[in-house]
Amino acid sequence: MITDVLMFWFLALVVLGSGLAVILFTNPVYSALSLVMAMVGVAAVFVTLGAYFIAGVQLIVYAGAVMVLFVMVLMLFDLKRETHSFAAGKISGALKLISVGLFAGLVVGGIVMSQGYFVKENEKSLGAASATQSVNTVAGSQTNLNVVNTDNTKVLGTVLFSKHVFGFEALGVLLTVIAVGTVALARSKGGTHAKH
Amino acid sequence: MGNDAFEITINLIKLVAVFLLIVQAVPILVWVERRGSAFIQNRFGPNRVGPLGLLQLLADAVKFLTKEDFAPDKAIKPLFYAAPVFALIPAALAFAAIPLSVPLEIGGYVFRIQGYEMNVGIVFILGVSGLAAYTILMAGWGSGSKFSLLGALRASAQVISYELALGLSIVGVIMMYGTFNLTEMITAQQGAMKFHAFGYEITSRFLPNWGIFYQPLAAILFFAASFAESNRLPFDLAEGEAEIVAGFHTEYGGFKMLMFFIGEYGHMILGSSLMIVFFFGGYGLPGITVDEVRSWAAGVTDGAAGASVLTTLIHFLSFTVKLVLFLWIFIWVRWTLPRFRYDQLMDLGWRTMLPWALGNTILTALVIYFTSVLI
Amino acid sequence: MQSTNFLTEVGLNHYLILSALLFVTGMTGVLLKRNIIVMLMSIELMLNAVNISFVAFSKYLNNVDGQIMVFFVMTIAAAEAAVGLAIAVTIFKRFKEINIKFFEHLRG
Repeated sequence: MITDVLMFWFLALVVLGSGLAVILFTNPVYSALSLVMAMVGVAAVFVTLGAYFIAGVQLIVYAGAVMVLFVMVLMLFDLKRETHSFAAGKISGALKLISVGLFAGLVVGGIVMSQGYFVKENEKSLGAASATQSVNTVAGSQTNLNVVNTDNTKVLGTVLFSKHVFGFEALGVLLTVIAVGTVALARSKGGTHAKH
Repeated sequence: MGNDAFEITINLIKLVAVFLLIVQAVPILVWVERRGSAFIQNRFGPNRVGPLGLLQLLADAVKFLTKEDFAPDKAIKPLFYAAPVFALIPAALAFAAIPLSVPLEIGGYVFRIQGYEMNVGIVFILGVSGLAAYTILMAGWGSGSKFSLLGALRASAQVISYELALGLSIVGVIMMYGTFNLTEMITAQQGAMKFHAFGYEITSRFLPNWGIFYQPLAAILFFAASFAESNRLPFDLAEGEAEIVAGFHTEYGGFKMLMFFIGEYGHMILGSSLMIVFFFGGYGLPGITVDEVRSWAAGVTDGAAGASVLTTLIHFLSFTVKLVLFLWIFIWVRWTLPRFRYDQLMDLGWRTMLPWALGNTILTALVIYFTSVLI
Repeated sequence: MQSTNFLTEVGLNHYLILSALLFVTGMTGVLLKRNIIVMLMSIELMLNAVNISFVAFSKYLNNVDGQIMVFFVMTIAAAEAAVGLAIAVTIFKRFKEINIKFFEHLRG
C-alpha cells in the first residue's frame, strides 16, 4: 500500500518536472527529450492505474514512434542557434500566464470541490464490483482493480470492435487521409521532395 | 515483488542476475564472432592470447578500461556521456520480461526464472525496445559530427520503419495463441503437434507443437525485422564503414564504445529469445511436455525440491542451446551477406515486409474464423 | 475539505489534479513558445494529460470506455504530429527557421 503511494508521488514529480522542462528549455532537442521522459512517466502512471495494455501502447506509439519523429526533425533542422524561444510581448505574455494560472486554479478547485461526488460514485461502483467478485482483498480499491483492469485486453478488444466500431472505422479513414495529406505536403513546393 | 523479506531479496538478486546474463554473454559472443568470422573467411582470427585466443577478451577489456576518456570539442557533453549509458537499458529491460525456464519451487516459495512476470509481455517488450532509437539519436546528435548525425538519422529511420513490420508480423502469432503472456505461449507449444480444426483433433507424433509450423511466414518476417532492429548486417546501414566511418558511434572510444557494443549484442540476444519464445517452443524440449520432464525428474532424484531444481535446469539448458543456435545464425548471416543500399532497405521494409505481414495477419484471422483452429 | 491523509491516500482526485497540472503546463507552452515544433510538443503534453484523466476515471468508475477513448486520442495525436511536422518541414525549407510568425505566409 505504502509503495503505491510513494510510487504515485514519485511519478507525479517525474511527469510534472519533465513537463515543465519541455517548456523551460530553450534548446528544442532538450525539450523533446524531456517530453520523452514525460511520456514514459505517463506510461508508468497508467501502470499504477492498472491499465497495462494502454501503458504498452503509450510506449510504442508515443515514445517509440511519434517522439522519434519529433527528435529526428529537430536534429535534421539543427536549431542550436535559436535565441527567441519565447513570445516577445511582455504584457501579452503576462496576460497569457495569468489566464493560464486562473484556468489551473479553476480546474483544480473544481476537482477538489467535486470530491464528494466522485467518491460517492466510486463507492457505488465498488459495491457493485465486490458484489460480482468476492475476492478476499485488503482494500476495496484492489477489488476494483481486479475487476476492470488486470488482464483486461480481451475486454478492451471486444468493446473496441463492438460498441465503438464506428469510431474505429472513422479513425481508419482519418489515418488514410492523413497519410495522403502528409505525402502531398512533403512533395509540395519547398518540401523535401519538391519537383522543380 | 514478494511476500516476505527472503522472497523480495531473491527477486531483486534475480533482476541483477538477468542483467548480468546479458553483460556476461557479450565477451563470449565477441569471441565467437571473431573466431566464427575467421572460420567463414578462411582466416585464423585471434589465437595468440590463451588457448584458442580466449584470453584475448580479457586483454581487450583491460585496453578498453584504460583508454583515455575523451569527448570531441563540438560535442554536447550531457548527451554525449548519457547516450552510452542509455544504450544498455532498453535491451536489458526487455530481456528481463522473457521467461528463461520453468518456475523453481522450493519449500513453499515459487521463483520464476524471469525478471518479472507480465500479462502484456509482448506489448511491453515492443514498447521498451522501441526506446533504443533515442540512444542512437542522442549519440549521433551529441557527438557534434556530421558522420554521427547521418548515421543516427539512418539508424533511427530504419528502426522505426522496421518496428512496423516487426509488430505486425507477430499479430498472427498472438491470434493463434490468444494471449500476450509469454509463459502462456510457451505452455501452448508444449509436447507433440496437436491442434483442433473443423472440430477434429489433429495430432502428429513427429513434429513438436511449435509456432513455426503454424506461422512460417511470420517467423521469417520477424527474424528479418529483428536483424534490422539490432542494426546488424545486412541492415547495418547505420555503420556503413565505406560511407560514414562508423555511423553514430564514430566519436566514441574505449569503454563508451564498449557499452554501445553491449547494447547491440543485447538486442541480438533479445531478438533470438523472442524468436525462440514465439516460434520455437521457448524453454520447452521439442515434443516433450514439462510435466513429462517433471515426472522423470521425480523418479531420478529424491524430494520435491531436487526434482524441481532438475526440471528447471533441464529447461534452462534447452533455452540456452536454442539461444546459442540463433545467435550463431545472427553471426553467420553477418559474415555471409553483403550490405543493402539505403533505398533497397526502405523498399524492403515498407513495400515488401509490411504488405506480407498485413497479408499474414488477414490470412490468419480468416483461417481461424472459418476452420476454428485451436492450439 | 482536504483532510490530513492527502499525502498518504491516493485517490481519483490525485490523478485528476496531476492531469490538470500537466494540461496547464502544456497550455502554457502553446501560448508562450514561438518554435512551432515545441508548440506541437506542448499539444502532445496536453493530450497526454487528458489520457491520464481518462484512464483514472476508467479505473475509479469501473468502466473500460475510458481506455478506448485513450486509443482514439493516441491515434489523433499521432496523426496531428505527422501533419504538423510535415508543415513544419515545408516552412523550414522555405524560410530556414521554424518560428510561428512565418505561418502567416501559409496561404497560396
